[in-house]
Amino acid sequence: MSRPLVRLRALAAAGAAAALVVGTAACGDDSESDADISWWHIQNNDPMLSTWEDMANEWSEDSGLSFDIQPIENQAFKDRMGTAAQSGEVPDLFQTWGGGVLAQQVEAGLVQDLTGKLDDCIDNINPIALEPYTIDGKLYGVPFDAGVVGFWYNKDLFAQAGIDAPPTTWAEFLDDVQALKDAGIAPIALAGGEPWTAHYYWAYLAMRLAGLDGLEAGAEAGDFSGEGFVKAGEMFAELVAMDPFQEGFEATSFGGPDGQSAHMGSGTTAMSLMGQWAPNSMATEAGNDGLGDALGFFPFPTVEGGPGTTTEYLGGGNGFAVGADAPEEIFDFLCYINQPEQMARGVEDGPFTTVAADPASLGVEMAPGVQMVVDAMGSATGVQLYLDQEYPPAVGGAIVEATSGLIVGELSPEEMVQMINEAWAEEA
Amino acid sequence: MGGRGVTATKTPISAPAEGRPDGRGGGKSRRRASGRPGAGTIATFITPGLALFLLFVTVPVIFAAYVGFFRWNGLGGAPTDFIGLDNFTELLHDDVFLGDLWHALLFVVMSLVLQLPLSFGLAMLLHQRFPGRTIFRLLFFMPYVLTEAVTAVLFGLIFSPSRGFADALLGAVGVDAQIGWLSDRSIVLFVVFGVLSWKFFGFHMILYLAGRQNIPDELYEAAAIDGATGWQMFRRITLPLMGPTVRITVFLSIIGVVQLFDLVYVLTDGGPFHASETMAITMYEQGFQRNRIGYASALSIAMFLISFVFALFYQRYVLKRDLAGGLTGSAASEGSRS
Repeated sequence: MSRPLVRLRALAAAGAAAALVVGTAACGDDSESDADISWWHIQNNDPMLSTWEDMANEWSEDSGLSFDIQPIENQAFKDRMGTAAQSGEVPDLFQTWGGGVLAQQVEAGLVQDLTGKLDDCIDNINPIALEPYTIDGKLYGVPFDAGVVGFWYNKDLFAQAGIDAPPTTWAEFLDDVQALKDAGIAPIALAGGEPWTAHYYWAYLAMRLAGLDGLEAGAEAGDFSGEGFVKAGEMFAELVAMDPFQEGFEATSFGGPDGQSAHMGSGTTAMSLMGQWAPNSMATEAGNDGLGDALGFFPFPTVEGGPGTTTEYLGGGNGFAVGADAPEEIFDFLCYINQPEQMARGVEDGPFTTVAADPASLGVEMAPGVQMVVDAMGSATGVQLYLDQEYPPAVGGAIVEATSGLIVGELSPEEMVQMINEAWAEEA
Repeated sequence: MGGRGVTATKTPISAPAEGRPDGRGGGKSRRRASGRPGAGTIATFITPGLALFLLFVTVPVIFAAYVGFFRWNGLGGAPTDFIGLDNFTELLHDDVFLGDLWHALLFVVMSLVLQLPLSFGLAMLLHQRFPGRTIFRLLFFMPYVLTEAVTAVLFGLIFSPSRGFADALLGAVGVDAQIGWLSDRSIVLFVVFGVLSWKFFGFHMILYLAGRQNIPDELYEAAAIDGATGWQMFRRITLPLMGPTVRITVFLSIIGVVQLFDLVYVLTDGGPFHASETMAITMYEQGFQRNRIGYASALSIAMFLISFVFALFYQRYVLKRDLAGGLTGSAASEGSRS
C-alpha cells in the first residue's frame, strides 16, 4: 500500500520541480515585453532620463506604438549589450558609439541599414557627426551627441603658475607642466585605473605625428609599425617621467569622489584631457557648480615636425542603432527626436553637445563648456573617433592596455606598438 | 607522566571516528532490509536535479571547451574559424595569464599561512567563556555578510589616495607617508589580500567555532585529570579532531581563490596594469570587453581544469576519511579499510 503512495509523492515532487524549471525559463527572458519598441539608453540620470521618456510618450500618442524603455548605466549597458548581441536578441533601439563594435554588430546582421530611411531629418544633423556610424558607405546609427576631446583647464591655477596663454605646441605644453609643478600644483588629473582616459594622450600624439592619413593607413594595413607610433609612445613616456599626475593616479577612477573629474571640479589639479562630458562630470563628482568662469578649453597641441594640426580632433559621441527586428515606424521616431525642438531639449537637459547642422537654429543657450566644444567642432578640419571605439574591440582593448603598461613603465614604446600589432594580426 | 596520560586518551577519541563508517554501514543494511526504493522512484527524484545540472553545468562546460578551439567574437551564429589548440598555446605564453596563476598561488599560500591560522586562533578565543562573547562573534562574522562589491567600494574609499581613511589613520599616529595602497604595483596584491582576509576570515572562524564546539568536553576533562597541559590538550585533542573542518576550509579557500572575481574587479579591476589581476578578470576582459570569446573560453576551460583536478586530488587524498560514507557506499568501505 505504501509504495504507490511513495510513488505518487515522488511524482508530485518531480512535477513541482519541472513546473519550477519551466516557470523559471519563461520568466528568464525579460528583454521581451508586450511593448512595440524596446529601447535601451544610458541617460540613467535626470533630467535626460525623464526627457527621453517624455519624448517617447509624446510620439506614442501620435503613433499608437508603446515603448519599453530601459535606462542602464554606461558600463552595465556595455555588459548587457554584449550578452544580448551574443544571444542574437538586441533591443529595437539602443545606444551605440559607432566604430568597431557597431561594425561587428553589422557584420553579425543585428542592426538595420538606415541609409535613405531618415530623409525627413537627416539634413538636420551635422554630417561630421554621422561618420562614426557610417560603415562601408552605409549609415547604421544616428547620433544625438557629438564632441571632441581636448584639454579642460583651470584658468585660476594656470594664472597662479604664471601661464598667461594655453600652450599650442607640445614643447610649450611640457614647459607649462613644469611651471605648474614648480608652483606646487598637480598639473594633470588622470584616471590611471581606467586607462581609456590615458589612451587619449597616445592617440593624439599619434594623430599629430603620423597624421590622420597615417592612422588610417595603419588601420588599413593592421600594422602600426609606421613612423610616428613608437615616437608617440616615447613622447608620452617623457610626459609621464615628469610625474605630472595627481597622487596615486594609477588606481584613480574617472568618476567617484576621488576620481579624475572630482579632482578637476574641486580645483586640485590644473588640467584634464577629456571629452565634451567633462564639465558636467566635474560639477557632479565634485558636488559643486564646477569651475564656472575658471573653466577653459584648448585643443591638443601640435608636435614639432608632425603633420597634425590643432584643428584635427579626437572625438566621438553617442547615438542610437536600430535592431534588425525593429518595426519600421522606428524611423519616424528617430526623426521625431531629431527635430530642432527636440534637439534643443537634449541640449538643455542632456546636456548634449548637439549634432544639429546649425546649432544656432536651436535657439537655446548652451552651457559655457558645451559652447566651447561646439565651437571646436565648428572649426574642426577632421575628427578621428576614439581609438578604443574606432577599431575592433580586441585592438581597441590592446591599445588601452598597452597605454596603461607604458605609464607604469612596464612596456617600452616599442613593446607597446608590438602589443597593438599582435592584436591587429589576430583580427586579420 | 602527563605525556602518557594524553596518549591514553587517544584511544577513546579515535574509537568513535573509526567506528563511524561501521555505524553508517549498519544503518544501511537496515534500510536494505526494509526494501530498496524502486528504480522508478530513484529516476523520478533524480531527473529534475540531473536535468538542471546537465543544462546549466555540463552543457556550458562542453560548449566552452568546443568554442575554445575557435577564433570567435561571439556574434553572428556558431563559430566557424577553427584554430585548433592555438588559444591554449597562446594561454601558456600569455604573461597576463601566467601572472594570474602566480597571483593565485600567492593568495593560496597567504591564505594558508595567515588567514586560516588567524581565523582558527580567533575561533579558539571566542570559544572561551567571557562577557560579550556573542557580540564579538557577531562583529567578526559581519564582514562576510556584506557582498563582495560593497566591500570593494568600501575599501576603495578607505585606500583612496590623499583623502582616504587609511592614510588619515597613519597620519593620526604620526606616520606621514603617502602609501599607494592600490596604485603601487609592488604592494597592491597584498592590500587586496588584506581586504579578502577581512571579508572571509569570519566565515572560516564560524566553521572552526562550530568544529570546536563539536568536540565533547569529556575529552578535555579526562585529559585534565591525567594532567595534560593546555598546549598538550590543544595539540592532541583539539587539532586532530578539528582535522575535518580544517581540511574543508582549506578546500573552500583554494577553490575561492581560483574563482576570485567580484571583489578584485570592483576594487582594482586587476590593475594597475595587471598587478592584481585574477584568472576570472582576464577571462571577463578578454571575453566581454574585447569580444574574444574563443580565447576567453579556453581560459575558462583552464580554470575549470585547475579546479577540477585539484578537487579530485584533494578529495581522493586529503578528504578521503572525512567524506567516507558521505558520498558513496564504496568510498565508505574504502575509508574503513584504510
